[in-house]
Amino acid sequence: MVEPLLELKNIHAGYGEFRVLHGIDMVVNPGEIVAVIGPNGAGKTTLLKTIMGLTTLYDGRVLFNKHDLTKTSPDRRVKAGLVLIPEGRGLFPNLTVKENLLLGAYTISSRSEVEERLKTVYELFPRLKERENQRAGSLSGGEAQMLAIARGLMSSPKLLMLDEPSLGLAPKIVAEVFEVVKKLRVERNITILLVEQHVKESLELADRAYVIQGGKIIASGKSEELRNLEELRRIYLAV
Amino acid sequence: MFEPTAFDLSAIGTGVVNGLVLGSLYALASLGLALIFGVLDIINFAHGDILMISSYIVYLVALSTGNPWIALLSSLALFALFGAGVYRGIIHYVLGKEPLIQIAITVGLGLILQNLALALFRAEPRALPSTLFPYPLSIGPLTLSANRVFVALVSIILCILVHYYSTRTKLGLASRAVAENREAAWLMGINVPLIYMATFTIGVLLTTTAAFLWMQIGPVDPYLGTIFGLLCWIIVALGGLGGVAGIIASGFIIGVLDSLGSIFLTPSGKYIPMYIAFILTIWFKPRGLFGRR
Repeated sequence: MVEPLLELKNIHAGYGEFRVLHGIDMVVNPGEIVAVIGPNGAGKTTLLKTIMGLTTLYDGRVLFNKHDLTKTSPDRRVKAGLVLIPEGRGLFPNLTVKENLLLGAYTISSRSEVEERLKTVYELFPRLKERENQRAGSLSGGEAQMLAIARGLMSSPKLLMLDEPSLGLAPKIVAEVFEVVKKLRVERNITILLVEQHVKESLELADRAYVIQGGKIIASGKSEELRNLEELRRIYLAV
Repeated sequence: MFEPTAFDLSAIGTGVVNGLVLGSLYALASLGLALIFGVLDIINFAHGDILMISSYIVYLVALSTGNPWIALLSSLALFALFGAGVYRGIIHYVLGKEPLIQIAITVGLGLILQNLALALFRAEPRALPSTLFPYPLSIGPLTLSANRVFVALVSIILCILVHYYSTRTKLGLASRAVAENREAAWLMGINVPLIYMATFTIGVLLTTTAAFLWMQIGPVDPYLGTIFGLLCWIIVALGGLGGVAGIIASGFIIGVLDSLGSIFLTPSGKYIPMYIAFILTIWFKPRGLFGRR
């Protein structure tokens, strides 16, 4: 049995007085792609933010890579190898593409290592190299999402979390983004936790998935099992 | 017909040069305010009073030790503690809260400082009995006190250093990231509260340095902070938060208007031209003279 990379135990979390998650248990194993699906307002984004330490945690524990990060500040979680690409990408629009990438490597103090990572990321996304001195705010939606992913890779995370990477993108670009995510797992062995509205596509991409609703997990399992789950079909696949 | 005499011309020339000196000091004094506003998104209404209290500290230490450099160093050390302490004890708890709460808390801090000064020092102005460079310098046709040349040079150099800090250093880049998107900055692994505290403290230290320079050319009284606070706000608004260059340029404008105003108008009327300039600018260019976006 493999040691899980990320383990959530009985997570109750929210924002101040506003409770969103009511007892979430979840496991992500090394090398997996795990999807979290569920309707709007189910708590998917809150779940990812909780893993990063950006919410109020009332109860439960966050274990990552054999460490208990429950009380660790967000910046230290990044150092531990967690990266979240937030909903809406969280780019710094008035900073240049290169400055955004450098900020992705903020936790790395060795300058030569940062240069090395920059080179690798530019090889993966040559478009960004061409635009390195442009303001991030001037990029197209697809380019901006690529920048967000590239920036997430700059710290060489052990677990990369993506919150709705397809939001606001044309279907063709969405396919490209999913292609990149697949490539990251195959070529760089990065474990991925994905939150998505595109249920069908994410179930094709992911090994396993969790379905959450009203802040609770209502179903979980292998992607192909979930695809056939009657309830899920009814709610999300509109059949 | 009114013919300008040689006296008038040289008076205007001296007025403009003095205005540029004042302007560079105003720019330096405004930088701390702009930095704190940009990164912490809080309006520090105690800014002017921090400058005023710093001036008193410089004055007192210089008077008791007889050494202006000890006065500078000890006030910097004291206000580093003060800045970090005010951040951790007060500002930290009102960040992201409603503007009214932030205004009340910083105005309150300013009032405490001002009344502390009134109680301790009374209302009469105090000036250093001996300044750093108390002799005149001739630059071309103009005669200027060496203190003023020193003040202008140091102010401009510090402004350039702040520009370098915010554009070229890792900490500066991180603070710009925090200014743009606090939560995304957390996600980059930036220790956001630390950036807040560092920025607030740097802002206070710039203000303390401005106070030290001010004491080389002018007196301090408990109301110095009211005037400086207002001037700094006008400069930040005119500069449109358009970076250090915008602050320096609007500092020069306000300094020259101030200086010429005090030559041609009564002491209480001298602020009229700069307020008119301010209102006109905000009217026609609400984002400031050099504003972006």
